[in-house]
Amino acid sequence: MNVGVVPNGPNPNATYFNSKGMWLTYVMVVAFIHYIILSLPWLTVAWAWTVTNIIHNAVMYLILHLSKGTPFETADQGQSRFRTVWEQLDYGVQYSPTKKFLTVVPIVLFFLASFYTQSAALHFGINTVSLLTVILPKLPMFHGVRIFGINKY
Amino acid sequence: MIYAHILVIMHVKVTVKRPYSILFLFGYLRDTMKRWGLEKTPINTEPFRKGYAPLYQDFRSFYTRHVYTRFRDVFNRPICSAPSTTISLKHRVSDDNNITFRYTGKVIKALNMGSFNYLGFADNKGPCADASEEATRKFGCAVASTRHEIGNMRIHHELESTVAEFLGTEAACVFGMGFASNVLNMPCLVGKGSLIISDEQNHTSLILGSILTGSTVQVFKHNDMIDLERKVRDAVINGQPKTGRQWKKILIVVEGVYSVEGSICKLHDIIRIKKKYKAYIYLDEAHSVGALGTNGRGALDYWGCDPNDVDILMGTFTKSFGSAGGYIAGSKTVIDRLKSRSHSMCYGTSMPAPVAQQIITSMNIIMGKDGTDLGMRRAGQLAWNVRYIRRRLMEMGFIIYGNMDSPVVPLIIFSIAKLAAFSRQCLKRGLVTVVVGYPATPLIECRARFCMSANHTKESIDKALSIIDEVGDLLQLKYSRMKIKPEVTDLDEDFRKRSDP
Repeated sequence: MNVGVVPNGPNPNATYFNSKGMWLTYVMVVAFIHYIILSLPWLTVAWAWTVTNIIHNAVMYLILHLSKGTPFETADQGQSRFRTVWEQLDYGVQYSPTKKFLTVVPIVLFFLASFYTQSAALHFGINTVSLLTVILPKLPMFHGVRIFGINKY
Repeated sequence: MIYAHILVIMHVKVTVKRPYSILFLFGYLRDTMKRWGLEKTPINTEPFRKGYAPLYQDFRSFYTRHVYTRFRDVFNRPICSAPSTTISLKHRVSDDNNITFRYTGKVIKALNMGSFNYLGFADNKGPCADASEEATRKFGCAVASTRHEIGNMRIHHELESTVAEFLGTEAACVFGMGFASNVLNMPCLVGKGSLIISDEQNHTSLILGSILTGSTVQVFKHNDMIDLERKVRDAVINGQPKTGRQWKKILIVVEGVYSVEGSICKLHDIIRIKKKYKAYIYLDEAHSVGALGTNGRGALDYWGCDPNDVDILMGTFTKSFGSAGGYIAGSKTVIDRLKSRSHSMCYGTSMPAPVAQQIITSMNIIMGKDGTDLGMRRAGQLAWNVRYIRRRLMEMGFIIYGNMDSPVVPLIIFSIAKLAAFSRQCLKRGLVTVVVGYPATPLIECRARFCMSANHTKESIDKALSIIDEVGDLLQLKYSRMKIKPEVTDLDEDFRKRSDP
């Protein structure tokens, strides 16, 4: 298995989200899961949107900010071993198109959820907390920051 | 010059993510079950020692264990014959899902479309093999020294003058390893304070060599001459980033034929840019020397350019000459300096005599010095084969990357799951192919790479095409939306004229 050769660069994990059709697939998967949750009979529309929001943000947090390293041996001499996937994206360059897209999607979901829940206080609280958990690690000032040593090694 | 444009269908872009997600989900499930003790791990695991940090992170082998191992049987297949047009593979089966293999003792003979055997010199019979055998008896197998010490034989000088004559340059120097020719010699040519502008798709040896030089490296979009010119112009105008001083040298590094994409570099444009901005060119002809051009002299022959315009010509002997090693050719001053300063010359063992003799004999055959026109016929046959297979595959409806004349034919199989199926089905029907997927290619562009040879007869190509047609229908690989009408087959007459002995 050849990793670290052209055209992906030393760490293919950094560029896989820029692949053709990746953004579209992501949006389609979110829409599909939302459709399934909407079909559950015991959930109201408001709760369906909140549940989608929670699940989406939790999964994104797990994938992007909790999992570190790469699923393959890379050619970058272990630089990505302790970096989360978000920090590895585009080799640490901030404000890249992928990063902007991934920041905007939870915010759009939050707006949609607020609209469909008519900004009821409970839903608003849950959605805001969920949004914060997934937006704060994406800010450039949190690049490489590990609060209380969580997830350091 | 036709570049095959890919008309990628939207649903393909989305659905090829599915194999990855399924494999990853199942991988996470299996890993969790193993961690909870619900499933036994069939491979060695690191013993847990109290007080010691773990040596390995198990996530680092995730892709290998859960994706690569599932179709590991299509890679690294052991062969037991010379890599000519038919190749023998050792038949192997796996009892534990590709973790270990067991050889049954059977040998599979199949049509070979995976070897870099462009002019067909990789056989173990013929004038080249006889000459190599004689050279072994005369000089022995081993050299046991470096060129600077006591390993400089007259066969090396003969080889270097043959290579220089073949390419039309003043001088050449040869090295024992093709990869090392790039890595160890680029640092002799450029250093700190110079700029290297290299193509996006350059080979790993060129990237490693560029890093080892210590110069600044910039990358231009693949074969995009407007991007290249802009980068060269910016470099000349702005100079070095912090000081603003002029760059000592600007070196443009390109390859003749790119083996991943199958494209040919636009050499005439690069020479124009080089002359306008006074830069230097380093042309890596690993896949193009012997394989391109009417006389088989490589990219310069193909484009009709003057060898004196390209400063450094590099190539390898592995692809078209059936041997091993690499060379660098250029003006006498550059080659003299390389011979005295190169790490490979000073510390690397020189090329063994039979290896060098194989190259000398094959080059003499291509140049026509052995009295026959076998070389010219082979070069023409290769060009015909390349055009024929590309045209037929595109007519069938496959997406083929690259230039119509490049001997590397990548057939795009977008999905990683179909990659394994394509290789296994082709082998079942008697065709050996090399398939390559993520992470060596972009995520959705897994491909099968066919390398044409001058020894492929029209019958064998037709047989291969029928196998590929059948497998392509089975796996629904015919994505192309470009409608190509089958041309009038006057190529048959051309072929008969060529292959008359």
